[in-house]
Amino acid sequence: MYRLKLTALGHPNPKSFNCEDVKEYRSVVLWLEDQKIRHYKIEDRDGLRNIDSDNWQNAYDLYQKDLVSPVADGTPTEQLNWLLSYAVRLEFADNVTKYKAVIIEEPKKVTPNVVSSNPLDNLNFSSPAFVNGVERVCALSGIGPHPDPKFRIAALAKVLKTSPHPDYPNTEVSIIKQPKDVLELIFIQNLRDLQTSINEALVAVQTVTADPRTDTKLGKVGR
Amino acid sequence: MVVRSYNEELKYLEKINSHCWRIKKGFQPNMNVEGLFYVNDTLEKLMLEELRNSCRPGMTGGFLPGVKQIANVASLPGIVGHSIGLPDVHSGYGFAIGNMAAFDMSDPKSIVSPGGVGFDINCGVRLLRTNLSEKDVLPIKEQLAQSLFDHIPVGVGSKGIIPMNARDLEEALEMGMDWSLREGYVWAEDKEHCEEYGRMLNADPSKVSLRAKKRGLPQLGTLGAGNHYAEIQVVDEIFDKYAASKMGLERTGQVVVMIHSGSRGFGHQVATDALVEMEKAMKRDKIEVNDRQLACARINSVEGQNYLKAMAAAANFAWVNRSSMTFLTRQAFAKQFKMAPDDLDMHVIYDVSHNIAKIEEHVVDGKVKTLLVHRKGSTRAFPPHHPLIPVDYQLTGQPVLIGGSMGTCSYVLTGTQQGMTETFGTTCHGAGRALSRSKSRRNIDYKDVLNKLESMGISIRVASPKLVMEEAPESYKNVTDVVDTCHAAGISKKTVKLRPIAVIKG
Repeated sequence: MYRLKLTALGHPNPKSFNCEDVKEYRSVVLWLEDQKIRHYKIEDRDGLRNIDSDNWQNAYDLYQKDLVSPVADGTPTEQLNWLLSYAVRLEFADNVTKYKAVIIEEPKKVTPNVVSSNPLDNLNFSSPAFVNGVERVCALSGIGPHPDPKFRIAALAKVLKTSPHPDYPNTEVSIIKQPKDVLELIFIQNLRDLQTSINEALVAVQTVTADPRTDTKLGKVGR
Repeated sequence: MVVRSYNEELKYLEKINSHCWRIKKGFQPNMNVEGLFYVNDTLEKLMLEELRNSCRPGMTGGFLPGVKQIANVASLPGIVGHSIGLPDVHSGYGFAIGNMAAFDMSDPKSIVSPGGVGFDINCGVRLLRTNLSEKDVLPIKEQLAQSLFDHIPVGVGSKGIIPMNARDLEEALEMGMDWSLREGYVWAEDKEHCEEYGRMLNADPSKVSLRAKKRGLPQLGTLGAGNHYAEIQVVDEIFDKYAASKMGLERTGQVVVMIHSGSRGFGHQVATDALVEMEKAMKRDKIEVNDRQLACARINSVEGQNYLKAMAAAANFAWVNRSSMTFLTRQAFAKQFKMAPDDLDMHVIYDVSHNIAKIEEHVVDGKVKTLLVHRKGSTRAFPPHHPLIPVDYQLTGQPVLIGGSMGTCSYVLTGTQQGMTETFGTTCHGAGRALSRSKSRRNIDYKDVLNKLESMGISIRVASPKLVMEEAPESYKNVTDVVDTCHAAGISKKTVKLRPIAVIKG
């Protein structure tokens, strides 16, 4: 389940990694610290290096505390996920210029990945791309400046909920229209599925309640 | 009332573009907003002719001309946008038929008026498709028409063949099409393709008089008289292939069934009761109107709420009525073709209401507002992606069913974004009368009407032949003019033209 992040970090066998296996889990943690995070000095990594030891868990807990992991109390999968994301972040920060150059390809690569998890989890709210995006949408809809882009997004949501959507200039049409069209089609498909299940439920009830009758003797054609 | 000459009256009317006129303030007293009406050259002449006639000395009494009625509606408290006349507009009780007006729910002075809904509450049109072709039907057209006539009782005083008691009626009034669904008279998919899903949730049968219920009970599942009909039609021309295919209309010659009916005596009684009640409310709340027929009450008053709840019950009655006739139509077809209605693909394409008041959200001056939209002789026509239209029509816009006059053609249109902004998502409803009923009776012979239909190859079954001249095509405006005007003005879009091959009538 961490295939994409492991691949991105250059892990030797990302496909076969099984996070349920204690040994594999521990060795990936160690690999991350050795190769990517490097938070401890080499000699301080011994606690993590003894992956067969019973004390490993204590060392891991301490490690997370030292890293100020927000999910130190979470499940092992959550903990590993954070570690991986943290490592990715460090990797990116080390090579900002290199990764910036490939920014156009990035959305395509990332999109299939985020489908299964909550895409907002992986959103970096302080990234320049996000800030720029917010800046543009806010300029279109007339939202005033504020240092915190999240705050401006909240304001935008409020405006959009209470008033009709602002017109966007022609130059922006294709940028906004295409994703909007896709979203609309997905929405319609979901709605169709919902409506079909509603109909199925109605038919199921009908098998119990329905008893249509006619009585031609009652009929009377008018004058 | 102000008395002015025809030429003075014309000063208040201004042609904005080739298909739209503005009625300026001052045309009638106390106008809160301006009026608008949509016409083409032919309809424009009819419209102005009517005004000119009413300006002749000595012309008092009778109905006011349509333009005057549109202007009177513009003077009602709480109206927003414009008082709008659709191309099929003609004089009615208080409001013109083919008039729509929206009132701001947040304004405590806003009103609801039974005259703005009409007496035949939730009169509407339903279209069923089949997978039959004209050539499948032609050999047994007469038998099929007779079978429909036998199944669907028609005419004044007709009685339905679906057994119902008082308790059934109470439930039907509250549940609308859900009642028909529960009892097994319709399919689950029928509900999906019906305006409001065939049920007004605010219906309250306890606000309906006993008299209305007594009138309504035996009439459920009957077509009625007047302009109501059931027609077997064929697809004559497809203008918008994509939208038509979304409706299951794939080719010319495909057979469909159109049912045009309403809430019968039930709705009429609900409207009459409300008018009496509202006259008192008007005195109490000091509501002044230009025309006594525009009786109304504040939306939030007891009388206003009572009417809305009773009207919703009448709307439910009409949906159950059209649903019962859908059931009977399917039976008639199944018997003639010895096939199950499923195998004949007899799905409801859509069901529109053209006499109703509904609470809707619209954008007024850049702000979302909750409005009470009166549509009398006008049809809701919501654009693509509107949340209140069925999922199957999200990309095409809401289907709008336009029944022509007897023996002429009918149309299917779709709603547009322009209509949403200009007319609160509203378009025409039919041909619209050109001659009054009594005038038609004087001028036209019923035998000529029947002979003409026969010569056109249209089978006809009528309960009272002597009344057919009231409904003769000559008594109506040309439905094609009406529809073309709506299309050209952009307030709805032509999709399919239908031509009748058999007519069942009261």
